[in-house]
Amino acid sequence: MKPSEEPVLAEFKIKKGFDVKVTGKPDPTIEDYASPQLFAVYPSEFEGLKPRLKVKAGDRVKRGDILFENKKNEKMLFRSPCGGTIQAINLGARRFPVEILIERAAEEESVTFEAYTRDSVGQLSREQVADHLLNTGLWPLIKQRPFNKIADPEATPKAIFINAASSAPFQADFSLVLKGDEEAFQTGINALAKLTEGKVHLCKSAGADIPDFGNTESHTFSGKHPSGTTSVHINRINPILPHDTVYTIAAQDVILIGKLLNTGELPRTKVVALGGPAVKESSRKYYRVPLGASLVPLFEQSFDGDEVRVILGNVLWGDQVKTDTCVLYYGSEFFVLEEDRSRHLMGWTMPGLFQYSSHRVNLSSLMGLTHRWKLGTSLHGSHRAMVVTGWMDRHQPLNIMTDYLIRAALAHDTDEMVQLGILETAPEDFALAAFVDPHKTDVCTIIKQGLQEIEEEGI
Amino acid sequence: MKFLFDLMDKHVAPLFEKGGKFEKLYPLFEAGDTFTRTPSDVTPGAPHVRDSIDQKRLMVFVVYALLPCLFLGIWNAGHLFNINNQVEGATFLTDMVRGSTMVLPIVMVSYMVGGFWEVLFAIVRKHEINEGFLVTGMLFPLVLPPTLPLWQVAIGISFGIVIGKEIFGGVGYNILNPALTGRAFLFFAYPAQISGDKVWVGTAKTAMDNTFFGTVAENIDGVTMATPLAVAAAAEKGTDAIAALGDAGFSLWNMTMGNIPGCIGSTSVIAIVLGMVFLLITGIASWRVMASGIIGCIAMGALFNALPLDNAFASLPFVYHLVMGGFLFGIVFMATDPVSCSATHTGKWIYGFMIGALTVLIRVANPAYPEGAMLAILFMNVMAPLIDHFVVQAHIKKRNSYARALNNA
Repeated sequence: MKPSEEPVLAEFKIKKGFDVKVTGKPDPTIEDYASPQLFAVYPSEFEGLKPRLKVKAGDRVKRGDILFENKKNEKMLFRSPCGGTIQAINLGARRFPVEILIERAAEEESVTFEAYTRDSVGQLSREQVADHLLNTGLWPLIKQRPFNKIADPEATPKAIFINAASSAPFQADFSLVLKGDEEAFQTGINALAKLTEGKVHLCKSAGADIPDFGNTESHTFSGKHPSGTTSVHINRINPILPHDTVYTIAAQDVILIGKLLNTGELPRTKVVALGGPAVKESSRKYYRVPLGASLVPLFEQSFDGDEVRVILGNVLWGDQVKTDTCVLYYGSEFFVLEEDRSRHLMGWTMPGLFQYSSHRVNLSSLMGLTHRWKLGTSLHGSHRAMVVTGWMDRHQPLNIMTDYLIRAALAHDTDEMVQLGILETAPEDFALAAFVDPHKTDVCTIIKQGLQEIEEEGI
Repeated sequence: MKFLFDLMDKHVAPLFEKGGKFEKLYPLFEAGDTFTRTPSDVTPGAPHVRDSIDQKRLMVFVVYALLPCLFLGIWNAGHLFNINNQVEGATFLTDMVRGSTMVLPIVMVSYMVGGFWEVLFAIVRKHEINEGFLVTGMLFPLVLPPTLPLWQVAIGISFGIVIGKEIFGGVGYNILNPALTGRAFLFFAYPAQISGDKVWVGTAKTAMDNTFFGTVAENIDGVTMATPLAVAAAAEKGTDAIAALGDAGFSLWNMTMGNIPGCIGSTSVIAIVLGMVFLLITGIASWRVMASGIIGCIAMGALFNALPLDNAFASLPFVYHLVMGGFLFGIVFMATDPVSCSATHTGKWIYGFMIGALTVLIRVANPAYPEGAMLAILFMNVMAPLIDHFVVQAHIKKRNSYARALNNA
């Protein structure tokens, strides 16, 4: 068969899955956010990073000046999102710089880099693209599988997966984010295409208003969560075999790369969605926020509740961040919900009409089709020894045996983990398993540790 | 109510927490505390929301599913007692009262003695008390005859909990179903009272005397009756097993109803089916195990029917195997125990089918053990990890070829 010239379209229907019905969906409108002068960079966001600071408190920096570099790979630099004065560098355990606070100056200067057009990027070599991204501090946006870590610039990925899909509550809708930035997106794709000898796959949700782009293969995914996760995309399009590497990147981050290349300056803004039951209805929408800017004014007027948990990411997968956080390097959405420490009388026998559940043991599961729930962070029980029941596999579309994989990870059996397919996965693929588990096993952490063990031991 | 809870949180809880006076007894406090109210724990990380069900709710719902069996067992015990002792003017109510005096002590001993071990191990091991014990404590008495001396109940549940479960590490780590382990122990240690042809006695004395003082059935002047399985197994070669059952007073109908001698919970097919429907609607127990078990039982029964064997039991229509003895109770409540059964879908089909088939095989081919279901389930409990191992290996092969096929495409 001759390879066709037309962009290849493939449609995937994901049969297994589960949608968590939660209130707080953000309105599809974007508001510009006028940020205060405080900015921050969090080196702790980058897992496995060993930062070497290049600035100290009181230093004046331009927008784009180097803040720190990675000791493990000194080409990997991290640059300032704004021009101003370093206010403080807060150290954590083992003197790890947890956050670098920067006060923006009224007049900020910028460092400039070389600018390209969408076509001139195509003239660059792989090394030039990689070096440019490493040097400008945007390389860490690219992650890799296996191990779901910052991509190894030396690796030869067999493919690159751009995730423009969304299925968990409430991932930002990329069709909204993309509006007006199509040019930058295409430039970013062209740059990424230089990094692999294989294909660049653009994975979208079915029905999303996203056109096809050159240099990519488009795929649409329909079905319940996790149809929008990168692991499912890889599994259906080009599964990872042992010793394979693929690069993965979120679609909005491709725009950031494209803007850098087009303008020759660090990108200034990105779009984040703010949703969840603890966000006031008037504030549930998308915001165009400066990278690194403090979100305190926005959060102060948006939250509804005494004690809230702010998650960078969606309700199923994301890290808890401080309520006075600044815009982080990763992520396109914040999900806010209330810390629920309420205790219910005899929860073991009540009909369960007012408690959300995916199991038929609760009457509420019958309402699951339409009703949306104001969920909190209650664990609804306490931890018990894990029982391998096959339940955790119920909503798992990946071709893995979830229960057995978790058991192998608990037993530190790296061989079995690899055989069962852990290299294809990221901890986020186990969020639904953890959600449904009546034994309240901390599944995602177990898988994370399992992946770390394999990485340390080598495959 | 709120006042009481505040009192608990402020003044009682600190006594049991770290540094408190009764720190060692924390698991006991925790069990009581979370029994009255769900715990206040929040999710430690992603996913930040969790399903509202927990182990407690699941296990308590299994106990609910067992209640029809318990009620019919109580009635049946009282009813047979009143018939055998020719009690005049016996009504449903007097049957229930009489039955309660026979059955409830057994249930209470099972819970108290079993609970003692559970709490002891939780305290020594410093983990929370697992609710799986609630099910074991109820399953165990339901597979005992109502006339069993209470000291045997205590020994049986102790063996089941300690040897069947705790020495492996507690719920989630055990290989065998603890309730069945306890019963198997009694079966081999004290066969006279639990099976064979002297199992069920309506004594001339009151059941209270019988159970509380541990009087062994055959020593007193009572009425002994064989169970249907014993009758069928004892049927002479060349005779009709149905006729033998009929002579002993067993028909398909009364074996379905359950007003016959046998174990407390496992005689009534109707009660078991009620529990089964509840388990299937709530989705707690595996329908695969139940379905394949029943298919296995029918298949093996039909095979024996078809074979030209000179064995009266073998020619018994397979329907009888379903309603006789403890098979149905076993496949619905015992074989589906999520800890000791197969965990993979394919494994569950094999596991259930083998239990059904082995039950009939043991019953027919080995008349020494008329109750095949218990042994079949225990045997397949041991085999379950092996079955799963092969299923997982097959899965690994399949997923490798899937990945390679897509990569070469």
